[in-house]
Amino acid sequence: MERQEIIDGLVEIMRTMRTVDPSRLENVTEETDFLKDMNVPSAELINIATKVEIKFNIELEDDDIDEMGSTVKDIVDLILKVKARG
Amino acid sequence: MISKGRKVVVTGFGGVFPTCKSSEEFAQKLFNNQSLIRRWDKAMSYGKQIRSVMSAYIDPLENDIEPIYNPYTEDYPEIFVDHLNRIPPNNLATADLGSIWAMLATQDAIKMAGWTHKETTSEQTGVVMSSASGGNEVTRTTCHQFYVHGKKTRSVGVHTVERAMVYREAANVSCLIKNKGVVEAVASACATGLGNIGYAYRLIKFGLQDRVVTGGIEGTALETFIGFDGMQILSRGFEPHESSRPFAKDRNGFVCSFGAGIVCLEEYEIAKSRGANIIAVIDEYFNNSDGDGDMFAPSFDGQIRLWNGLMKDINFKPDVVKVHGTSTFTGDPIELFSVTEFLGNSGYHISAPKSQFGHMLGAAGAVEFITALLMLQNQKVLPCLNSEELNDELEGFQLKDNWNGPKNPVAYYRDLLPLKTFEKEINHIVCLNYGFGGTNSAMMISKDI
Repeated sequence: MERQEIIDGLVEIMRTMRTVDPSRLENVTEETDFLKDMNVPSAELINIATKVEIKFNIELEDDDIDEMGSTVKDIVDLILKVKARG
Repeated sequence: MISKGRKVVVTGFGGVFPTCKSSEEFAQKLFNNQSLIRRWDKAMSYGKQIRSVMSAYIDPLENDIEPIYNPYTEDYPEIFVDHLNRIPPNNLATADLGSIWAMLATQDAIKMAGWTHKETTSEQTGVVMSSASGGNEVTRTTCHQFYVHGKKTRSVGVHTVERAMVYREAANVSCLIKNKGVVEAVASACATGLGNIGYAYRLIKFGLQDRVVTGGIEGTALETFIGFDGMQILSRGFEPHESSRPFAKDRNGFVCSFGAGIVCLEEYEIAKSRGANIIAVIDEYFNNSDGDGDMFAPSFDGQIRLWNGLMKDINFKPDVVKVHGTSTFTGDPIELFSVTEFLGNSGYHISAPKSQFGHMLGAAGAVEFITALLMLQNQKVLPCLNSEELNDELEGFQLKDNWNGPKNPVAYYRDLLPLKTFEKEINHIVCLNYGFGGTNSAMMISKDI
């Protein structure tokens, strides 16, 4: 799975979240930080993780969530790592 | 013990009412002797699993609130959307339906009171409100995911705690208006609405706060309804508009309903000095417990003690008594007899708003308090709808040796129980509410003269 494909999927997830201002989703890059740049409430990161599991058909372990960063790059790396884990 | 303290007034109110878009429509329907009770399609969809299907319920869409259901979590409203943009998304994310109603009603009440941003966000402004139980819909769907479907705890998202906790409405309202004073919830079953207003009144009276936004809420939830349905105490066998019938001879239970009522209370001199419109003065609040160890049955002695406590330092009588009047078999006559024992057989009228919208549980005392404010404002008495036929024989409990109340049948008090709204001079109203566990609450309000 290509990284851009994952980023597009993440943006789709973010569009379903009413607490995210849609205008902040126009120029998302790997450096974009959910907390700092998108003003996502920190508790919502867990909701993003749950939606990521469903959208990308993966299962995150508790350690994955505990160690998860808040940038798009962190999430893309995590998804690829978990997919490789099988 | 009643302490002298500061004078407390009501300067604003707001609510979310069944079948009504506004407080004005609510008042208009009530004074037109209309019922807000309907057959509830959601209850009916469960067929023989449910005994009663009558309710003054509120569908969220009727108030332009749309629940967005999580596509992979059955029945779980992931978030609500406010199509009129009254509540910001971050506040909606932490709210259940009742909390949204509390926020909407608070906005209306503060607007009517005319509090400035500085006043609203002051350390001297409190938030005191509650519903009668937890967020039952959120709790049910969350637990179902975990226990029945074996899903991970995070599968329903991270907002289950603050959307189901007991003081969720107070917490959500405080986060919305950003007050810096007290934020608390008082729970006392069906007396919750008046109990919160009473507690808020004491906070101001005793000098702990200058103003408090307060009241009671009960968000539409079949999960709440079915508990009472299982007790076989809900009205059954009548058309919707006839199903809540306090004092009627053939009443057979209450109508389980939903709504929200919020009021702004304020210290009298502060309200006067800013030129506020004073809707009512609160003369006194008193509450007590039956003390007889009975969870459910009303107590004549407990209610007489309630009246004695309320009226200890008051030397005038109410023109209207806004009763709890649930339409249950024992509750109504006990209440009628305690009122007549204390006030006598004439010189006032009894109003039973539950005859028009049923029993709103945690919201009941607050929404009915708003009906008392409307009666004061409009100088009209709201009726005891459907009470045409009264029992002309003594109640069974009146025949017992230990009965120490009136020995007249309910029908003897016909003239106290109006069938329709009517006009009269109203200066003072007593509001009464009771709840499971033997809790009793009473408040006297008056026009500001």
